[in-house]
Amino acid sequence: MRPGELVLEHASRAFAVRADPGRSLKEAVFGRHRGGPPPVQALDDVSFHVAPGETVAIVGRNGAGKTSTLRVLAGIVPLDSGRVEVGGRVVAQLELGAGFGRAFTGRENVYLNAALHGLAKTEVDDRLDSILSFADLGSFADLPVSTYSQGMFLRLGFAIAAHMDPDVLLIDEVLAVGDEAFQRRCEERIASQIEAGATLVLVSHDASLVERTCERVVVLDRGRVLFDGPTAAGLEVYRREALVA
Amino acid sequence: MAGSRFLFEQLVRRELRQKYQGSLLGVAWYLINPLVLMGAYWFLFGVVLPVFEVEDYPLFLLCGLVVWIFFSQSLTAASTSLLDQGALIRKARFPRETIPASVVAVQLVTFLAVLVLVAVVCVAIRGTLDVALLVLPLVLAALAALALGLGLVVAVLHAYFRDVAPILGAALLPWFFLSPIFFSVERITQGGAERFVLEWLNPVAPFILAVRDVLYAGEVPPADVLAYCVVAGAVAVLGGRALFRRLEPELAVVV
Repeated sequence: MRPGELVLEHASRAFAVRADPGRSLKEAVFGRHRGGPPPVQALDDVSFHVAPGETVAIVGRNGAGKTSTLRVLAGIVPLDSGRVEVGGRVVAQLELGAGFGRAFTGRENVYLNAALHGLAKTEVDDRLDSILSFADLGSFADLPVSTYSQGMFLRLGFAIAAHMDPDVLLIDEVLAVGDEAFQRRCEERIASQIEAGATLVLVSHDASLVERTCERVVVLDRGRVLFDGPTAAGLEVYRREALVA
Repeated sequence: MAGSRFLFEQLVRRELRQKYQGSLLGVAWYLINPLVLMGAYWFLFGVVLPVFEVEDYPLFLLCGLVVWIFFSQSLTAASTSLLDQGALIRKARFPRETIPASVVAVQLVTFLAVLVLVAVVCVAIRGTLDVALLVLPLVLAALAALALGLGLVVAVLHAYFRDVAPILGAALLPWFFLSPIFFSVERITQGGAERFVLEWLNPVAPFILAVRDVLYAGEVPPADVLAYCVVAGAVAVLGGRALFRRLEPELAVVV
């Protein structure tokens, strides 16, 4: 597996549908939960291959399996069957600022969050100044993040993830949350990482963002690959699908 | 765990900060809790119903109580730890065992701080400054391993089966009363079977006996007690990790 390369082969994954994902002991001892909806097939025989440095958007209606695909690629959720392989350092941005300690300062959260991404202390030391200046926190860097505005919180979360030197960048809609200036800065940062050779897999409903950042589109529908090809044609298929639905 | 030491340290720091933030007395609460329990049991069994004639009974109580409080609070905190961090587990990939391990480590830090104070008081009052103290690190390491191992078990089981934390909570109360904390087993029964049950089937009991032997009595614990502690710690941590690894892959789905 080359760094930045990514393979999904006949990947399938189903999820049980329940209000509470945990089970009770009663259910485990006395047999399976009866009634209720059948399991949802989030990924149904999905195959695609991404070469290092490629930029791919995954589009599809809600429930098409986009986020599940990203979580499988990120190694968070295992497959029921099939094969997933990703080469090199994978940085998944599924939620900005996940795992922040509310009582920790911005600076302390840089260390915590970078550790969650698998960095060692010296690697964080080297990046700290650059991360804090990208996040543009000013004097708030040494205050607890519980005092931050939503925007500052997200800026810090993105700034950390953006300094992880990924071979593969997995991004799920996180850019939709900030204001326009923030989104522009994020896009520039992502573009520079792609120039540096990173592979991008992006999940987004924003067609113009997909057009700007991705050369290839995978359209998913109910867990299956409906289309896999150039962006313009892919978005065409997606629009048609969305209208039919 | 070797590769995730830095992450583990960070998680422990976050836990400690969150625990003590906004509480006026901070760490002192960890001292107040065992002291209040000690006062209650001393009043009950030392004053109202003086059935156990034990010298320096409050210190006798305290040695057992601090061990019990560390053990029970480690398991209680570990049991819900993965669900508490559910949002993070669903969104990020990192070694999951660092979460229960970090909450047990936080309990360990406070336990050691309290134990140092208890040791100082014991040495001052009971004159137990003895080579026996050298055994203490071994007992404490085994106790930490026991708490970590069982903590991993209850944490991962509770993520799958939401009844585990309530069952644990219900079990800890009678478990407390059956542990030789406010009594010594030979005072209440001479029956071989009963002593076996109270002293050996309860995995916490040998640790309580060992810590009390060292701090309260100034004696090296019997070899069988020490061996039990080491084996119990090793079995718990190896078994706990094996079970955790087995159930770990689906955690992002079940929490």
